[in-house]
Amino acid sequence: MTQEVIGASRCPRCERVVAPPALMCPDHPVAMEPHLLPAVGEVVSFTTLHSPPEGFRSPLHIAIVELEGGARLFCHGEETRGVKIGSRVSVEDVNSVFYFSSMGFAARARLFWRRAGYRGEKVAAIGKSFVKGFLRGKTP
Amino acid sequence: MADVWIAGAGMTRFGKRAESLPDLMAEAAAAALADAGIETPDAIVVAAMNPEEFTGEGNYGSLIATHLGFSHVPAIRVETATSSGMAAVYSGFAVIASRLRASVLVVGGEKMTHLPTPRVSEIIGRSIDPHERSYGSTMPALAGLVTRAAMHHRGLTAKEISLVAVKNHSNGARNPFAHFQEPVALEAVMESRVVADPLRLYHCCPISDGAAALVLRSAPAAVRIAGIGQGMEPIAVRYRADLTAFRATQAAAEDAYRMAGFGPERVDVAEIHDAFAPFELLSLEDTGLIPPGKAGRATLDGDTAIGGRLPVNTSGGLKARGHPLAATGIAQIVELVWQLRGLAAGRQVEARVGLAQSIGGLATNNWVTVLEAR
Repeated sequence: MTQEVIGASRCPRCERVVAPPALMCPDHPVAMEPHLLPAVGEVVSFTTLHSPPEGFRSPLHIAIVELEGGARLFCHGEETRGVKIGSRVSVEDVNSVFYFSSMGFAARARLFWRRAGYRGEKVAAIGKSFVKGFLRGKTP
Repeated sequence: MADVWIAGAGMTRFGKRAESLPDLMAEAAAAALADAGIETPDAIVVAAMNPEEFTGEGNYGSLIATHLGFSHVPAIRVETATSSGMAAVYSGFAVIASRLRASVLVVGGEKMTHLPTPRVSEIIGRSIDPHERSYGSTMPALAGLVTRAAMHHRGLTAKEISLVAVKNHSNGARNPFAHFQEPVALEAVMESRVVADPLRLYHCCPISDGAAALVLRSAPAAVRIAGIGQGMEPIAVRYRADLTAFRATQAAAEDAYRMAGFGPERVDVAEIHDAFAPFELLSLEDTGLIPPGKAGRATLDGDTAIGGRLPVNTSGGLKARGHPLAATGIAQIVELVWQLRGLAAGRQVEARVGLAQSIGGLATNNWVTVLEAR
């Protein structure tokens, strides 16, 4: 079964891991090395904006997810109903934007459909998500 | 290191102001210079966070020097996001402490209310890590993430958070320089609209215009800067191991207490950066003014109200006095100077030592300053 991974960076001096990849360690003037993390983790916190900045739809759900392996990630989500601090979620990288979900395919398809962009891009994103879900052995 | 004294303090009323930013800074500077009895300072430090974006003007050190009639006086501009005002106090402090000059005018301000709120949010949001901003993160969004984590892990309640706003509005009603001079009821705060869940509108500071100024000098005056400290945290909130305390405040407080030679036990009155109401509770614990886990209870019990054991934000804080970004850190010191000199009519407390804490960005560049009456 294929496991989705998230690109990250690791500091060779302090072993700190950050995501997405960064050139320098935030704590040392040391070049970081490429690293991969499993795309699953726990919700650290989340919020919902009802007047989000231009270019984002309301309501905008933002979460910080701590991936297994340590790095914390900013993510968008379809909704926060049922989500708690400490909830286990999977993370998907779709066109360099991270999305957290504890949901099945239908909810993910809705999420990508709501994103701004051309119809073709939306369909491609849903297709990509479907394929990833299938490879992970999820029932669509 | 030479002692650094505050010889003069002044500010404009905060709020929606028709004047330009240079005119607001001139009003505050004139008040501080008159208070100090100095016509011309030896140097000028100007604090402004985003004047290029808000007003379209730049080169603020020179602009303000000339505008004040001091075109020949050395002037610099200092910026650390929303704590720029206290960074300017630090710069002025360093100039006097190092004996480079005998007097420094520190003046800071911001002019924001002429722009629509989404535009103001976007400009302030430029102080956020670019990757996190690309997810639509605004200052309230990041504060919402911090607040939810703090409520979960530290047991802060919506009522305790809301009472901070109620207390600070009540204090602002006694301050003629405050943006908001009317009290608000607890129910109004707790039922105001959700901005960034769990933060509500009345938990957030307003958008304000205004300026504040100090005159620092090496010759003794009524109030001395006993200690001033700076602390840092990664600009990326995702790089922090703990969302529920601000390491930048803790480091700044340690730095300031070390310089002062005493700790939080001697502080009688405090001005705390309550840009979001829960930040007052976190910051009271980060500075050691209140033991860990007790700030909510202390607020419920009235300990931090005027007349309480440790009055906090007698000015109204950022919540009610208002938050013209780079004016704020200086205005906090102005309020403490007035308290220590017995000039805070209508809200005067008994105090010999005051502490001010300022947050830059989402707590990326924080400051703590400790003042002592002579």
